[in-house]
Amino acid sequence: MSGGIRVHDLNVSLGGQSILHDLSFSMHPGDFLGVIGPNGAGKSTLFKVILGMLKPQSGEVNYIGNAAPEKQSPTIGYVPQSRQIDPEVPLRTWDFVSLGLPHKVRPWLTRRDKKTINEALQMTDCERFAHKAIGKLSGGERQRAFLAQALVRDPDILLLDEPTSNLDPGAQEQMAWLVDHVCRERGIGVLFISHDVNLIAKYADRILYLTRGNFAVGTVNEVMQSDVLTNLYGTAVEVTRVGSKVQVITSLKDAVTPICYHAEVN
Amino acid sequence: MFQYPFMQNAFLAGTIVAVMCGVIAVFVIARGLSFIAHTFSHIGFSGAAFAVFMGWSPLNGLLLFTSASALIIGRMGVKTFRRDVSISIVLSVFLGLGYLFLKLSNTQSTGMMSLLFGSVIGISVSDIWLMTWLSASVLVLLVLGYKMLVFDSFDPVGAEAARLPIRFISIGFLLLISVAIAESVQFVGALLVFTLMTTPAATARYLTQSVFRMMVYSAVIAVIGLWAGLVLGYYTSAPTSFYISAVEGVLYFMALGWHSLRERMAPKLQLPSAE
Repeated sequence: MSGGIRVHDLNVSLGGQSILHDLSFSMHPGDFLGVIGPNGAGKSTLFKVILGMLKPQSGEVNYIGNAAPEKQSPTIGYVPQSRQIDPEVPLRTWDFVSLGLPHKVRPWLTRRDKKTINEALQMTDCERFAHKAIGKLSGGERQRAFLAQALVRDPDILLLDEPTSNLDPGAQEQMAWLVDHVCRERGIGVLFISHDVNLIAKYADRILYLTRGNFAVGTVNEVMQSDVLTNLYGTAVEVTRVGSKVQVITSLKDAVTPICYHAEVN
Repeated sequence: MFQYPFMQNAFLAGTIVAVMCGVIAVFVIARGLSFIAHTFSHIGFSGAAFAVFMGWSPLNGLLLFTSASALIIGRMGVKTFRRDVSISIVLSVFLGLGYLFLKLSNTQSTGMMSLLFGSVIGISVSDIWLMTWLSASVLVLLVLGYKMLVFDSFDPVGAEAARLPIRFISIGFLLLISVAIAESVQFVGALLVFTLMTTPAATARYLTQSVFRMMVYSAVIAVIGLWAGLVLGYYTSAPTSFYISAVEGVLYFMALGWHSLRERMAPKLQLPSAE
């Protein structure tokens, strides 16, 4: 059961401002699609539309793939961007992950539920701190717990909104590897928002580069080209490659500030 | 003291109210609704005064005013009402209204005192049946909504991401609090509902890492405070409500002290292994 999506001519305006303009792309079932772009380009908005939390002005989102026939629509796991967890929350990681289970009313857990939780914890390498309070975990551990909570729903599609922000480079790498590993194993389609194209480039089959009102979709090599980005930003942007790393340079410093994240060269 | 029927009734009714408030308090605290709960109790006071003015049973007025305001607050969004200023305004308006209704109905000041501070000895057997029924309904609804409520209260962003009906949960919970408050006001009074709706859970939070256990501890702590208050109130001349709030307060500060002591000890114990 792998899921993909096809987005067709999507238009979204918020407060009179056009955020997404004629956006069309598809994510093949079981693919890893990296989503990058500057702040305010509409990456999180796109996720909200896919989830049905926001109604687009026009256009549609269709699900493709072989989701189980008894399901009306595919299950979507979503790891939102900013998530405050009070350090005093009386929840152990195990309990926290169990909240993600799809049943709504039943107050107790069945043996099958427990098995699902343990599997998700094992897959995301959360077993070590399963009995630690969720508020006491480190940033990387917490992101893995969030991922586990989304995985217990047994999703066909997983939406991850900057799961690597606030993490140190090692933890970022580990998180991206983990998502890739788990989702390929289970055939889950992934949309992964990140500011770091070099992190995404390693794992994503394709990337969707969003700027306000423009977009480009393709493999990293296809999208990270000077002419493509110049088109997206409407200003001269030069893409160079240093070893395997992509570097973005522009004469207008302010215009591309948000994508300077991937100008790091090791 | 148990030879008196009024004391038996007080213990029975008090225990029912304390268990319900203790359980609900866990979510009141987690959702940051303690001041809204406080405001509800004043709205309830005003409702009860209105009922007296209209010649109804006070509980009907209480239920009417608190549940109506729960619906209004729920629809307008809890966030607006969490602001200090809006709460203060709502609170003062309803306190004023309550006083107006009392004046209009020419009730003696003892009536007002019992609405503000509760009257333990005024509980009748039929009151107890009504309270039992209401508490049981509230607890059953809490059990049915337990999973969604825990998710939405402790991880609101995650609950929204999981597509839970968060608006429905928010309004539903406000309605539950409103019923619980309407019911408790008669017993502990408008000023002290606050005590049972927040302090036991705040205490329990320092004692455990599990939501379910927190609910159990909170209910037990609420009951302990209430029993202690009833016993002390019976043998001394000071009012029961005073003892209830004092005992709950002492238990809270003991738990807080124990917690911070344990926190302070923990890093010291870990130091050798960290090096």
